[in-house]
Amino acid sequence: MNIIKGFRTTFKHLLEEPVTLQYPEQMRPFEARYKGRHHLRRYENGLEKCIGCALCAAACPADAIWVEAAENTDEERYSPGERYAKTYEINMLRCIFCGYCEDACPTQAIELGHEHQLSFTDRRDAIYTKEMLIDPVPSGGKPTPQKVEAGAFDRAIPDMPDPK
Amino acid sequence: MAETKLVTITIDGKAYQVPAGSNLVDAAKWHADNDIPVFCYHPKMAPVGMCRMCVVELGMVEKDRATGEVIMENGQPKVRWMPKLQTACTQVATDGMVVRTDTDKVKAGRESVIEFLLTSHPLDCPICDKGGECPLQNLTMAHGNGVSRMNFADKLKLDKHVPLGDLIYLDEERCIQCARCIRFQDEIVGDDVLAFHERGRRLQIITKSDPGFDTYFSGNTTDICPVGALTTADFRFGARPWELTDVPSICPHDAAGTNISLSTRLDRDFGGRAMIKRVMPRQNEAVNEIWISDRTRFVHHFTRSDDRLQSPMVRRGERLSPTVWNEAIPALAEVLKAANGDVAVLAGGGASNEDLWELRQLLKGLGSERLGAWTTHSGAELLLEVGVGKGSNLGTLGKGDAILVVASDLEEEVPMWYLRVKQAQDRGAFLAVANHRPTRLAEIASQTERKVASQTERKPLVGKSVLYEAGKAAHWLNDLANSDPELYNTLKDAQNLVIIAGAEGLDWDGGRALMQAAANLLIAGGHVGKPNNGLMATLPEANGMGLQYLGYTTQNALDIIKNPPSVLITAQCDPLGDDPTAGSWMSKVNTLITLTLFPDDTTQRAAFALPVQSFAERDGTFINGERRVQRFYTAQGPMGDALPLWEIIARLRERLGQGRAKVSAAAVMLELSNHLPSFNGIRYKDLAQVERQYPDVGGKDLYYGGTAYQNKGGLGVQLPTTADNGSAPTTGTVNLPEVKQAKKGELLLIPTVRLYNRSHIMRPSALIANRVAKPFAALNNADAKKLGIKHGDRVEVRFNGGQATVTAQVSDSTPQGVVFVPRYLADTPTPMVITSASVVKVSDAVAVQ
Repeated sequence: MNIIKGFRTTFKHLLEEPVTLQYPEQMRPFEARYKGRHHLRRYENGLEKCIGCALCAAACPADAIWVEAAENTDEERYSPGERYAKTYEINMLRCIFCGYCEDACPTQAIELGHEHQLSFTDRRDAIYTKEMLIDPVPSGGKPTPQKVEAGAFDRAIPDMPDPK
Repeated sequence: MAETKLVTITIDGKAYQVPAGSNLVDAAKWHADNDIPVFCYHPKMAPVGMCRMCVVELGMVEKDRATGEVIMENGQPKVRWMPKLQTACTQVATDGMVVRTDTDKVKAGRESVIEFLLTSHPLDCPICDKGGECPLQNLTMAHGNGVSRMNFADKLKLDKHVPLGDLIYLDEERCIQCARCIRFQDEIVGDDVLAFHERGRRLQIITKSDPGFDTYFSGNTTDICPVGALTTADFRFGARPWELTDVPSICPHDAAGTNISLSTRLDRDFGGRAMIKRVMPRQNEAVNEIWISDRTRFVHHFTRSDDRLQSPMVRRGERLSPTVWNEAIPALAEVLKAANGDVAVLAGGGASNEDLWELRQLLKGLGSERLGAWTTHSGAELLLEVGVGKGSNLGTLGKGDAILVVASDLEEEVPMWYLRVKQAQDRGAFLAVANHRPTRLAEIASQTERKVASQTERKPLVGKSVLYEAGKAAHWLNDLANSDPELYNTLKDAQNLVIIAGAEGLDWDGGRALMQAAANLLIAGGHVGKPNNGLMATLPEANGMGLQYLGYTTQNALDIIKNPPSVLITAQCDPLGDDPTAGSWMSKVNTLITLTLFPDDTTQRAAFALPVQSFAERDGTFINGERRVQRFYTAQGPMGDALPLWEIIARLRERLGQGRAKVSAAAVMLELSNHLPSFNGIRYKDLAQVERQYPDVGGKDLYYGGTAYQNKGGLGVQLPTTADNGSAPTTGTVNLPEVKQAKKGELLLIPTVRLYNRSHIMRPSALIANRVAKPFAALNNADAKKLGIKHGDRVEVRFNGGQATVTAQVSDSTPQGVVFVPRYLADTPTPMVITSASVVKVSDAVAVQ
């Protein structure tokens, strides 16, 4: 009796579609909250959301993030606030993809996306620079640095909705 | 703290013995380890009780009026409580005072004050330079309510980027109107350049001076600002405070030996090396308290300037070409061997004791003792005999004491001493200032009272300012007993007397005569060999005192000038750039070896130019003008192939067969202090000793004293004078030199010192470029009229060895027959010592752009 029960399971699975995916040709769909490599976001007008506050670096348990800040001017404006990230680097070999940086970010500038295929042949290649992390300029936006009207941006930190 | 009567106060149920009259916030912190939160109160300034953060419940033990006995109630002394909360900062400890700091009432009071301050404080913390070391942040976390009842959108919107001068930015939204900055300028510095403007919600800090925030101490306001309202232009967004590594160091610019902390961080643009991001004060109550001057704070860029000499250079034909140490050292060894002992060293005050020791040993091995000090000041040997006594602290001079500042513009030469001398006068000390021209300190000295907004009581000030004939400082002081017996006796009979001597308008003979005259006055009054008594000199650069201790003298320098050696080594000095007449004797030197930070005028003529490391890149020690040996640590990544000066010489000595090269600066100091008895066998670890200092700033409670760092790198060791060691100094004869006279039709050129100038060290600091005066020569009205020169005209000053084209400044404050030419301002070298010069008009004043 038991043997029939056992073969029943075997035959049932023989007829089923296999769950194996032919990775990398085939990809499994990602959950929305999946934490892959980071993106630095832009506003619709092309300005960077990152204000170079380095709170992500402070929150990072793996010490993977390196930020150096500089001051915006109206001639060369990167972000709406007073300050922007001159250097923004993430060492992907150190990163443990915990997402604390995302949580720490006061302007929602850094978000963990879905890309997970990170492999390197040189340790130095594992350091993602700001150019590699930042989103492309959205259509209708202008690339940074932008030259803006004097006094158009007078806040130290861009106005943002109250954190929920 | 001075010993005073102790009283018993009770804080949170425990009794403490504290000095009567001490401030309650200070007493609670120092004796009871109870941090009463404050914003406006600062231990170095008079309390104003403006912010109300320090509220406590206060009461007095009730006593029977008839018997004076304490009334008991249920076995406890009966306490009469004040009906409302009281500000602790405006209370002084009195016997029987009872304080409660942990009741619900106090907590509610503190919470309300925080909430009130935050009604319109912007949420800038993520980008604010103060974020992370901000008293408002800390106290909000400790005492504030976690939830705001205010509508974020309703907050006041004000100007966020107001430059107060070139160095400091004001963010109007962040200011909580504690007036610490205003009071600091007013009470401590005496440059009343900041003020409140408008009232109520619109109250703002403004600067009243032109140029804005015109003072040499502006940076300190950013340290004591309890919020991020005042930040420096230098550090702006340089790093977050928690990312910084703090390295104890010593200010390399003047004889005060200001203790500093170099905040460093790795920097991508600096090749991943550690880089100085900001310079902060480090508490040393005997040296600089918790303040630093703006030169100390903002002039550090030279340490990583691309203009630095970065590889050893050797002359091949006409040009200097770069080489490597392994080639340069053997070549140098050959040159020195061939010199057959005809070698001499000229060292500047920038070289550390370790450097000077290795150079001295090198020369000893070569059979020469010609160690010259390249400095404007002479007579420093007297500082070893009658220098200020061990244990001196300018911060403790007060009523009954006297200070004489002679032949120096102290504010421009040693601003830290200026600050402390000014404060000594505030405390009641007699301040006499003598010079041949009016200076800022002379103006301070002659004030009979100072208006300080936060203090209603005006204490009378005592002091005197004297003008003597140009260049006759020694004559004046030597003859003081006859010419002005009143002043002479005031100084001589003072409880304590400190004399600070400069060298303005004096050559080496005149400087020595002045020092001797000062020593005689000190000895006559018995002001030697005890704390707070004795002689100080405004020796240029950080280690002028070290030169003297290591045996480098101006007498030797004079000998080197008169009989130039075959091989001359210049160590961190630039004789050709400093002195236009140096070329005449320098040309007799066969081989010139220069150890230098920058390719300077001396480098142009050198056969070997060797790059040395600046104070920031290496370990070492300086001896300040009060003979305090102080240690600085490696902070910044090295520039190019530069090496510490001592290491270059140590390698060279090894090559010459003078023994194995030392591997560390500590090892050099070990040998040095074992050989020189005056160093008392001190070790690096002795210099690193620290002790608790009053007031207790820089701990976790940043709100109390600002962001000045606690001293963790060492307080240094003050070397005793021979008088301290018990040998009674005797008065010497003052060899009054003939004062230089101007040639017929010429004027007497007197070089002066400016805090900000265009020396190699200053030039890379772009921030202070606007503060550097345009090259000028100061003339008297009558002389100018005679020469047909008007104020603002371009004139050429011609002197022995060169000329300089500068702008004429014509005024009555310059004595007749004299032209003052500040050093390191003009494009060409100007005289280092008093000389005769002609002034010729070149062109009319050009309209100011």
